Amino acid sequence: MSTLTTNQTKWKEYEKGAFRFFFIYFVLQALPLDWKYFGNLFRIQWGSLGFGDIFYISRYTPQFISGSSTPGTWGIGTLADWAFIAGIALIGAIVWSIRDKKSENHNKLYYWLRVILRYRLAIGIITYGFIKFFPLQSPLPSISNLNTSYGDFDRWKLFSLSLGIVPGYESFLGLVEIIVGVLLLFRKTATLGAIIILVFTGNVFISNIAYDGGEAIYALYLINIALFLTVYDIQRIYNLVALRKPTAPNTVKISLNGQWRTSRLVLKSLFIFFFVFLYGYKTYAAYHHDIYQYPKAKGLAGTAGLYNVSDFRVNSRQLPYSQTDTTRWNDVVFEKWNTISIGSLKRYKADAATTEEISKNNDDRKYELDGTTGRAYYSYVADTVKQVLLLKNRNSNYKADQFTLHYTKPENGTIILTGVDHNKDSVYVQLDRINKKYLLQEAAQGRSKALKL
Amino acid sequence: MATTVINPDTKQVGNVVPESKPRQAAPVTDTGAQKEWTATQRVAFRIAFIFFIIMCIPTTAEWWNNLVTINWFHLHYRDLYDIARFSPSIYKFQTPAYNLLGYIDWVEALVIGIVGGLIWTALDNKNKQYHNLYYWLRVVVRYRAGIGIIGFGFTKLFPVQMPYPSLGVLNTHFGDLTAQKIYWLSVGIVPWYQVFAGVVELAAGTMLFFRKTTTFGAVLLLGALGDITYVNFAYDGGVHVYASYFVLFSAFLLWYDIVPVYNLLIRERFTVPPVLIPEINQKWLIVTRIVLKTGTIGIFLVWLYYLQYVNFKYDPYKQPATSGIKQLRGNYNVSEFKLNGQDIPYSPLDSVRWQGVTFEKWSSLTFNVNKPLNLDLSNGGGAAMRDINRNFELTGVAGGKRVFYYDADTVNKVLYLQDKLPEFSKRKGKRGNRGGEKAGDNKLAKSFIPAEAKANIRNEVTAIDPAAQSTRRQRGVPEELKDKRKRAHMVLSYNADATGSHIVLTGKDDKKNDVYIVLDRVNRPYALTDSKLVAGKY
Repeated sequence: MSTLTTNQTKWKEYEKGAFRFFFIYFVLQALPLDWKYFGNLFRIQWGSLGFGDIFYISRYTPQFISGSSTPGTWGIGTLADWAFIAGIALIGAIVWSIRDKKSENHNKLYYWLRVILRYRLAIGIITYGFIKFFPLQSPLPSISNLNTSYGDFDRWKLFSLSLGIVPGYESFLGLVEIIVGVLLLFRKTATLGAIIILVFTGNVFISNIAYDGGEAIYALYLINIALFLTVYDIQRIYNLVALRKPTAPNTVKISLNGQWRTSRLVLKSLFIFFFVFLYGYKTYAAYHHDIYQYPKAKGLAGTAGLYNVSDFRVNSRQLPYSQTDTTRWNDVVFEKWNTISIGSLKRYKADAATTEEISKNNDDRKYELDGTTGRAYYSYVADTVKQVLLLKNRNSNYKADQFTLHYTKPENGTIILTGVDHNKDSVYVQLDRINKKYLLQEAAQGRSKALKL
Repeated sequence: MATTVINPDTKQVGNVVPESKPRQAAPVTDTGAQKEWTATQRVAFRIAFIFFIIMCIPTTAEWWNNLVTINWFHLHYRDLYDIARFSPSIYKFQTPAYNLLGYIDWVEALVIGIVGGLIWTALDNKNKQYHNLYYWLRVVVRYRAGIGIIGFGFTKLFPVQMPYPSLGVLNTHFGDLTAQKIYWLSVGIVPWYQVFAGVVELAAGTMLFFRKTTTFGAVLLLGALGDITYVNFAYDGGVHVYASYFVLFSAFLLWYDIVPVYNLLIRERFTVPPVLIPEINQKWLIVTRIVLKTGTIGIFLVWLYYLQYVNFKYDPYKQPATSGIKQLRGNYNVSEFKLNGQDIPYSPLDSVRWQGVTFEKWSSLTFNVNKPLNLDLSNGGGAAMRDINRNFELTGVAGGKRVFYYDADTVNKVLYLQDKLPEFSKRKGKRGNRGGEKAGDNKLAKSFIPAEAKANIRNEVTAIDPAAQSTRRQRGVPEELKDKRKRAHMVLSYNADATGSHIVLTGKDDKKNDVYIVLDRVNRPYALTDSKLVAGKY
């Protein structure tokens, strides 16, 4: 292994000191050294690897102190981890400086640190890129979402729904992330990629703060790395572009020979195969077969839609339409999957997920109800022979809410539900399908035509 | 005026990084081959020069009319904003398809540029390069883009471009909004994010005013406006042409540095950047430059900042500026509804009975009826002075929502309501435009408020805070009162308890029916939390 360098060969003392600090700091930040992470890694079933597994691998951040074992929870405690790491780096840099009086520069180490950070940043951005490129992260709104008042969503949900209605734009954002990630995989284009990340992920960071998202700290983590990568060339760029002076390029290159060269090629190919091609293929497959935000189980055939509750009886007493009665159902939605949602005047305590989670388990896929108080969401298991629905409230605050209803479909567009509800009251509910036209869809052809709706 | 243009070559500088300033970096004596452009470059430049000059020069009568009629002693933010906001408007075709999504003016400018550039080429065989012109073209484009984006940025820095949703909109189902509306709202719900977006745009614009920071400003502008252009296509936002106008300019400004940066970073070559810096020696030129630059910054950064602040505080331009009756605000259930004496029970499916009434903090009453209505699918922008024409609360909103503007006779407790959506003209597929050519019955629209009631109704012009008064408002309100479009109207007496929690409305609705409506305020909790950063004073 030989190093070719024409960069300045002698660093100033403070430069060496600062570098030693950042070297330790960023190695601890980027390399998976936290044992808790491995616990997670070992739980992966490699035989049936899902894209979610790769996604979680990409989200490693050290949590020595904050101690969450699941990647993807970044509280304020994460900052304590950073401070802890910075402390270690400071001590390490002092010890290093005392013991190392000989080194004139750390060009070689700087090179390898940049390699580590480039790859760390690349996978961080690529994994998010693909779940947008194949619009999975923010899917199209469910029928229930379309029939919920704007004010009944929290900010984060509205942010996601707003993105979800324009899959083409979501794909575009994903494509930007993928391209940027690929730029980082190559030394020459890395600075360009890092600068774009500063702009792009900078926006993600501010969005997370503004919309109460849960990934602000993780965005900041990526921004930190991008900043460090940008610093390498920033002086050169400023010199060239702002001062308009002749500028020498980076000349530190590592040229590898023989075995090293082969290993590098193999490692790089494996990395790209795993995080770009395999992951890309898995997300593509998911987009076509199983959008992870919604349950995979199919709903009752031919029922999807919005229904008016035209008749509602509790213990044989008919309840008329009301603007104040919180027990009466107002409308019901059957989704294409096994969810029904009930609109009433009752307000629910919302489940709120603000970080991106990918689950194979139907019960954990709660995108449809996260961050909304407007409706009650039930998953159901249908016995189509006995015509019975086993309903279970999906909201984690109402886990006990489970009951069984018998259903009949006397005519097209009408469903009658009977049984005993969660209050142990016997109910009789007649649902009539509403042929609802949504402006969101009707105006999709453009806003220049007159529309009556 | 002597413009020194230095375009040194690597050979001259050798492999040593010179510490010298660019002005001294290369000998000016080195003329000839290196300074000469190829024939293709010259032709391309001539075309580009004419094209960009056309793109940067306001040509509409409207713009000039605004400029000369401005009362500089009594300014409204919109006076300056209108100076900042223009884009080429050469010729539009009647057939929409020919207008190429609105880009037809660009094509026309390019055609003029090509024709002009070829004529120029035929006439001019003396000049072998245009360093000077290139420099000044960059100045024109820098300032055009800078001023334009700053005009935009301030409406975000003080978040008024995308208002927080009104109660009526909060109560509208997600699926009953257009994509355009959903995008605007998604920014409106987070005013601090809007401020951030404003800071980005302002930073980009400000950086374009200075030569050294131009490239960084252009990068920021390209990133931000590139995204906004895509957003406007994706959400059918309607301002894709103007957004991409800035993308075009920033790309042009970046052109200058793309090759050098590419050489330095990607090819890892020793790079000598081109340098275009004029040497201005004559005193009068130095003074002119300072006056123009200071003037631009003073007007578009300092003065506009103040005016926009006033606008945000007292007169946010997309939502009504005057306050509604304080006692009557909030969400109401319709407890009782009688039409011509006949009681109509509540049913969500009823097409006549009102549901979900709101009184906004400004003078709007909204309610739902379960029947199809004509919709206003515009994006609710514009520069309306009158509250009745500030329609953001109804544009892109369906679900049977009707929105009425009211004048209140608070002495006799009568509301004179007018539909904020004008009646549609009969012609198919044509929405009514403000000041439409069809002479409607304007007198009727006005005279439904009797003269004696008018004495008790506040003056619309002076109803906002004196700090926000402007010549533009004083002229604009009477001008908009000449509006010929018909509007449905109602006259309703209101009888409310002290807190306004129980209201009885009686009178005539828009179909001349007698109505008797009992409203009871409901505490309607929202999952969406609002912000303390709120525009307007109500």
